[in-house]
Amino acid sequence: MKIVAQQTDSIHDDGDSCSLCSMYAGDESFGIDTSKIREVLGKRELERVPMAPAFVAGVVPYRGDVLTAVSFRALLGLPDSKQAGCVLVLEDDEGQERYGLVVDAVGGVVTVNRNMLEANPCTLEARCKWLFEGAYKMQTGLMVQLDPQKLRPSRLAETGMFSQGMAQREVA
Amino acid sequence: MLLAMASTSVLTLLDHYSDIASVDDLTREFIAESQEGLDRMERCLTDLETRPQDSAQLVGEIFRAVHTIKGTTGFLGFSRLEKLAHTGEHLLGSLREGRLAVTEDLISGLLRLLDGLRAILALIETTGSEGTRASDDDSALISELAALNDGVQEIVTVAPVVAIKANEESSPSRPAANSGQTPAPAGNASANNDKTLRIDVDVLNRMMNLVGELVLTRNQMLQSGVEATSFPELARRLDSVTADLRETVMQARMQPVGNLFGKFPRMVRDLARTCGREVRIEFFGQETGLDKSLLEAIKDPLTHAVRNSVDHGIESPTDRVLAGKPAEGCVTLKAFHQGGSVVIEVSDDGGGIAMERVLAKAIERGLVTDDQAAEMSEREALQLIFLPGFSTASAVTTVSGRGVGMDVVRANVEKVGGSVELESKIGIGTTLRLRVPLTLAIVPALVVRSGRQSFALPQTTLMELVYIPARDAAQSVERVGAAEVFRLRERLLPMVWLDRLLDLENASDSHGFYMAVLEAEGCRYGLVVDDLLAPEEIVVKPLSAVLREIGLFSGATVLGNGTLALILDIAAVAARAGVKPAIEEEETQAVEVKQENEESFLVFEDKARERTALPLGMVERIESVSLGQIEYAGGRALLQYRGELLPLRDDGGVLDEMDASGARDEHESATVLICGDAVSRTAQRMGIVVRRVLDVSHGTLLDRNAASSDTELALVKDRVTTIFRGLCGDQGGWREVA
Repeated sequence: MKIVAQQTDSIHDDGDSCSLCSMYAGDESFGIDTSKIREVLGKRELERVPMAPAFVAGVVPYRGDVLTAVSFRALLGLPDSKQAGCVLVLEDDEGQERYGLVVDAVGGVVTVNRNMLEANPCTLEARCKWLFEGAYKMQTGLMVQLDPQKLRPSRLAETGMFSQGMAQREVA
Repeated sequence: MLLAMASTSVLTLLDHYSDIASVDDLTREFIAESQEGLDRMERCLTDLETRPQDSAQLVGEIFRAVHTIKGTTGFLGFSRLEKLAHTGEHLLGSLREGRLAVTEDLISGLLRLLDGLRAILALIETTGSEGTRASDDDSALISELAALNDGVQEIVTVAPVVAIKANEESSPSRPAANSGQTPAPAGNASANNDKTLRIDVDVLNRMMNLVGELVLTRNQMLQSGVEATSFPELARRLDSVTADLRETVMQARMQPVGNLFGKFPRMVRDLARTCGREVRIEFFGQETGLDKSLLEAIKDPLTHAVRNSVDHGIESPTDRVLAGKPAEGCVTLKAFHQGGSVVIEVSDDGGGIAMERVLAKAIERGLVTDDQAAEMSEREALQLIFLPGFSTASAVTTVSGRGVGMDVVRANVEKVGGSVELESKIGIGTTLRLRVPLTLAIVPALVVRSGRQSFALPQTTLMELVYIPARDAAQSVERVGAAEVFRLRERLLPMVWLDRLLDLENASDSHGFYMAVLEAEGCRYGLVVDDLLAPEEIVVKPLSAVLREIGLFSGATVLGNGTLALILDIAAVAARAGVKPAIEEEETQAVEVKQENEESFLVFEDKARERTALPLGMVERIESVSLGQIEYAGGRALLQYRGELLPLRDDGGVLDEMDASGARDEHESATVLICGDAVSRTAQRMGIVVRRVLDVSHGTLLDRNAASSDTELALVKDRVTTIFRGLCGDQGGWREVA
């Protein structure tokens, strides 16, 4: 919540700049456009859903609804974390589908210039190429931009790339 | 009369999300009101055919509906509607004054008037105007109505009562075009009904009061804080206010099923003519209330079912007569409550479903193989009808037989958490039973734990619970091949381990496990879980599409402790675990056998060292009564119980013993069985003082005790037990005392 508020102060509509909320999974840092984030719920224990696709971390109650939460670690093929993850509530443009995203930690808000986005390297493997939009060069390292549209559970299920036990495959 | 009532004490709530763009509030209200008037008119018209003796009242009602429309349209400036309504009113006026007789042509004409009015209303609703295109010309209809009005004036003898059946027979294939026109406007009418709801002002006021109370309680809670001494009391009040509010909102959503039934007479009438049948429709339990959204959800399935009954079920009049049945077939719609759900039965007295034809068709359509078909029980074969792409009608008619039908019926009913059963007897008829929950949103459920996760089981599917201690587990779980079964009252029950089925981590502990005996769609099985939590009334929240696809969970809910629990879809779990529907005949036989040889007994101890039992049916309640409440008169113990004076029977001398063991302590209490003759209710009730209640169990009678006709010996759980019978036989003297 606080992050969202902060963002509204800092945003200046000069077209090229956009503010991203930074988040971490594994050793990498990622960014999502703050306007797509409804709320950052913080660390939550999720209720697991048996037999669900591997990318579903579980379900989480949010304002009278039960949201499906996507495990970002599972999408990247990382093994499950021991600690409870941080849950963000995202919404697609039409506001039709709300869902949760579980990451290791949420950082702050950074303002970047859209023109500075570097395209994905061609050697990136297919799944990551699909997930990532490109990367921004930050002082601390690279920050990969994500498209919330593509992280929607229904969209992930449609692609079929993440459905079955990829976490295990990666470990093996 | 009805309209007057509607406008004074009932409010029309309009949903503002409706997509009517260019229509103002006044017009919208007019449309809603007119459509209700027309629905009433439709009912009255079909009633008029079947009950000509009530014609005066029915015609009056129809007249008022059309008159109101005419009056309001003039005011709103819909001239086309006004013109048509005016012609209709004129015709109805003649009918009301007895210058016209009720004939079939007249009714058909009026029904066409109804369709015409509906079509214009639908046009106004969607476009905001009544249309000026050439196709929107009513002159044909108007002249037809005028002709009806002129033509019949020549009738010299005014006959208010007309035998409609004779007319129907003389013209069996009356305009089918008539029925062809109906669906479109009817569909449009219902679109509007989805969004508006008539609700009693009293109910609305009560809701508002409760909301006010809720706000007050919240304010008090905020002011006092959690530590305040009054907090528990406030929490209790909050609880009761929420419960009341919920009940009131539910009540407001409840609509009588009769609203839905109302459109069937017309449909059956039109259908019967198209198919050349003679069909009468009967209703029972129209006042049964059902949640508004559910009512909408079962509308289509029910229409399908009624249509099937008329088209496939009822035979042609000649066939019926040959079969020794009256020429007129009967479709019965019956609604009633049963165990937390509403059952709607559609039954016909038609030819029933021929099993060979079902199987032959299924093989022909490639739905089952020959071998599968040969092995199928009757019940399984009937289930084939619910498969997509199945229809036994040999000829495809305009009405049905296009292969869409029962699968859609079942899918729609199951979507709202209901179930469909089908029963059929050759030559006698078919009954389709739709079972739907009372309401969608809140479901009583039992919360269980398995593999460190909580799951909710809907109470409606729960038959009983069995606890299996760890030390008995090896004995009580038996194996048939690889499948595990449990012997429940001498029947083998397939067991399903929830943690294994869902691939959960095994949280096995030493104390044992619980088995919930569940039944859904004819499948009965025992679901093994680690632990039982409290029964709760849960609020069902839908899951996202991705999770719905798993197919095992019907939703999720937030429990009282704030955690989430998934709601298990009992039928889907059965299917996933491979549980097949039990064959019903076997079941009924088993029950019969049991009733002949065995009986259920409540086993208790009254005299020291002796086991005594009462037939379970005789025991109404088991009460714990403090000694202070037991009074004595004439040396006999008496108990004032719910405004009745019950004599207490104390064969074991329990009361004396308790008296002797200590001073008469008010807190000391005795266990009293309240007994009565549950069957006849003629004999006086009485109480039996016992030491302690032991068990409820089945037993077999051994011997009739020769010494006393009141007692028999029986074998209950392999132990000799005295059985009391004819309890109230020797109570002659008691009545005087009481």
